[in-house]
Amino acid sequence: MRRILIIDDEDDIREVAALSLETIAGWEIITAGSGADGIRAAVDFKPGLDAVLLDVMMPGMDGPSTFRLMQQNPAIAGIPVLLLTAKVQGVDRRRFAGLGVAAVLFKPFNPLTLASQISEALGWKD
Amino acid sequence: MSEAEDKTAALLQQVWLRNRPMVEERLGRLDRAAAAAAAGTLAEELRKEAAEIAHKFAGSLGMFGYDHGSRVARKIELLIDYPAPDAARLSALTGLTVELRKAILPDA
Repeated sequence: MRRILIIDDEDDIREVAALSLETIAGWEIITAGSGADGIRAAVDFKPGLDAVLLDVMMPGMDGPSTFRLMQQNPAIAGIPVLLLTAKVQGVDRRRFAGLGVAAVLFKPFNPLTLASQISEALGWKD
Repeated sequence: MSEAEDKTAALLQQVWLRNRPMVEERLGRLDRAAAAAAAGTLAEELRKEAAEIAHKFAGSLGMFGYDHGSRVARKIELLIDYPAPDAARLSALTGLTVELRKAILPDA
């Protein structure tokens, strides 16, 4: 079973993404409401954590800052991170793609296809 | 739809109904920003708050099937997501907030 960490400050986004991935794909979901909590959760759940779905715009530590801190921590630097953003303008897309994340997914996502989007982005066949 | 998709759709509906008071409260804050813009008194703090709400709507409404609502919210965000938008741009705000409300709460 895949295990995914969702980091997003918006309760409804976390809830919908979690129920979608649990119900459609049968994955185990861990959630965090901030970048700092997300990094702690990533360290705690590192064994078996398959990917992180990371919101871009969050108060305090935003998604790119959270990603950079994760990259500086050898314990969790290798976990694939997918950025999740409602910013759809070209300049934002290029900036996010340049960070070195595994993929950039866009909000609003379709809850019925989110799992397949993640699988496709990460090359998962199962 | 598969059983899992049916279950997901039902759970989404539950989340939407539970969140409806928050949605209405956020729409009210957008209305207040639009009224202030129409009166030429849109303060910076209210503009920033309205831009954040529009951003959240743009990124979330489509999850619940309100794709048009997401598109309208995106227009609002682009209209006010920078300091001191001019009066010509702000003149569209009232119409867009009305359109947004109709798109997501047609029975209200």
